[in-house]
Amino acid sequence: MLDIKNLNVSIDDKEILKNFDLKIKSGEVHAIMGPNGSGKSTLANVLSGRKGYNINGKVLYEGKDLLNVPIEERAQRGIFLAFQYPTEIPGVNTNNFLKTSLNTVRKYRGLNELDSLEFIKLVKEKSENLKIEKKILSRQLNVGFSGGEKKKNEILQMTILEPKLAILDETDSGLDIDALKIVSDGVNSLRSENRSFLIITHYQRLLDYIKPDFVHVLVDGKIIKTGCSDLAIQLEKEGYEGVGEAK
Amino acid sequence: MKLDFNEFQQSNPTFKELNLIRQKNFEEFQRKGLPSKKQEKWKYTDLKTIFSNNLPDLEIFNNKKNSNYNKELLLRSFDHNKIILLNGNYIEKDFSFENEKKIHINSLEHELNDGKSFDKIKSFFNLKLNALVELNNALSVDGIILKIKDNYSLNKPLVIYNFFDKFSENKIINSKVIIEIGKQSKLNLIEYYSSEDNIKYFNNTAHYYSIQRDSVLKKYSINNSSKNSYNYNLTKSKNYTNSIFENFLFSLNSQLIKNDIQCDLLEPFSSCFVNSAILLNNNQHHELKTDVNHMHENCKSSQLVKSVLFDESNGTYQGKIFVDKNAQKTNGYQLSKALILSKKSEFNSKPELEIYADDVKCSHGSTSGNIDQNSLFYLMSRGISKDEANRMIIRGFLNQSIETITDANVKSLIFKLFYGRLKKININI
Repeated sequence: MLDIKNLNVSIDDKEILKNFDLKIKSGEVHAIMGPNGSGKSTLANVLSGRKGYNINGKVLYEGKDLLNVPIEERAQRGIFLAFQYPTEIPGVNTNNFLKTSLNTVRKYRGLNELDSLEFIKLVKEKSENLKIEKKILSRQLNVGFSGGEKKKNEILQMTILEPKLAILDETDSGLDIDALKIVSDGVNSLRSENRSFLIITHYQRLLDYIKPDFVHVLVDGKIIKTGCSDLAIQLEKEGYEGVGEAK
Repeated sequence: MKLDFNEFQQSNPTFKELNLIRQKNFEEFQRKGLPSKKQEKWKYTDLKTIFSNNLPDLEIFNNKKNSNYNKELLLRSFDHNKIILLNGNYIEKDFSFENEKKIHINSLEHELNDGKSFDKIKSFFNLKLNALVELNNALSVDGIILKIKDNYSLNKPLVIYNFFDKFSENKIINSKVIIEIGKQSKLNLIEYYSSEDNIKYFNNTAHYYSIQRDSVLKKYSINNSSKNSYNYNLTKSKNYTNSIFENFLFSLNSQLIKNDIQCDLLEPFSSCFVNSAILLNNNQHHELKTDVNHMHENCKSSQLVKSVLFDESNGTYQGKIFVDKNAQKTNGYQLSKALILSKKSEFNSKPELEIYADDVKCSHGSTSGNIDQNSLFYLMSRGISKDEANRMIIRGFLNQSIETITDANVKSLIFKLFYGRLKKININI
């Protein structure tokens, strides 16, 4: 699914990711944990195509080069980033945005575009699963949403767009326990052989709900340790420094 | 300009008093000349230069009244009452949705023919607000006098159509619209401007409203005339106790528009709203100038102007709030936001507060910028193309002012016109 080889990323001569390697196969769930400033969000941004980085190295997605693919085409091909801080876009109606997004992606994938009725039915079902209030979807995109509502809205978009590779950038931060459970259930319901996840988080608690196949520890732009989900528990106890020294 | 006033007087003979008023106004106009950037209120719209470059041979409209207008230009999306003006001349009315006993309507031409009632409207020919208003006083031979009686709310909105056909080519068209709304009455008014393709003309209209106590006037100005039209529209309102005056201005392809809104909040608890969505491309030049005068205590005003500029277009918002020393507990608010999407486009914003009372809440703000890159990335990361994402952001930006319109039919009409216009604009950013 995703094969990152020797990736170097910098902004204005500041190196962020250094000789970074990561391989994610279809159906796998990978978690990346690391302290602030270790490069976690940069990785998510680079994969989804945000501009402003100097990038060297190779990223293959489904066997093809990803780095030269335009942002919107990455999404159309199945990459989804759940934002750490979803952007508020005044005046843009959430439902209209969702419909435009879904139909653009469906069109790319050779599927018919949904009409308003089909779309409403789909959104109703998906948003009920996530316990998202209907009225939120008729409001301006992310404007005035609480932290939890923003994150749920990200997961709603993910369940509607059905990506092949979902990147969750600190989706758990700012969520209360109930919302964390709902969001995790949403993610778990999407787990399948054909879909991979890259979960970026500070805390082990999300991984109590979403069991990863692999946990990577990212410190200072490099993965210093990879293990199974037990590694997250060890991290919680010993901290990043402890794990680093253990290596 | 080639304004032959003698010829005009000969073809529009009238009683002595009016003739003298016309004469004086025209002389005053000639003395002052067209407004230029030397005048503070015309700093950003230098008509003298614009006219000498684009309308050097402008003449007075002196054709006979012609009542054949293009009925296909009428709005179809909602039921409405109509008044038709063609080249500034009153053509017909249709108030079939209303109790016509509650409405008194006359053409200005008719009112002027009968010199006896001139005293009632004389003041509208003596206002010396600026040279264009004086020109309007000198040259207006027709228009509308409308009175809504007390305790009457119109069942349907009224559309005043301002049509311009080939007879307007290279002409200056003047008209006056005088509306009085009685106590506890309500009117939703749409001033709709439309012209035949490619004709070049200057439309100089003056609107005078009086909104009596407990009444509501919602006035929506939609300028859908062709790209060679040049416009100066003056709106002057007097607002009495507890009245509401809601304005929304939306313009499409016209080359030049200056909307000049002067609103006097004369008695307590009256309020005035002026909102606008401005979308300009090519070398369009549009200005909104407001003067909201708080003359009494406990009045409220609010202005929200959102502008998007492409290509070499030029937009201006000069918004002034004046608070008289008697106008305690005033609430005055104004905000201008602009997206400037081309290096060659220009937006001028001049907010002004002039406050002589000490217990007031007034604010003003002005921002300008480009498309927010975070918003663009967010939308594109959901598969939406850059072009469509830009359009969504622009629509969203202007939606916020269009959403202030409280008449649902007008709101959807303006949305439709706005989306149609944006579709035709090539976004190259």
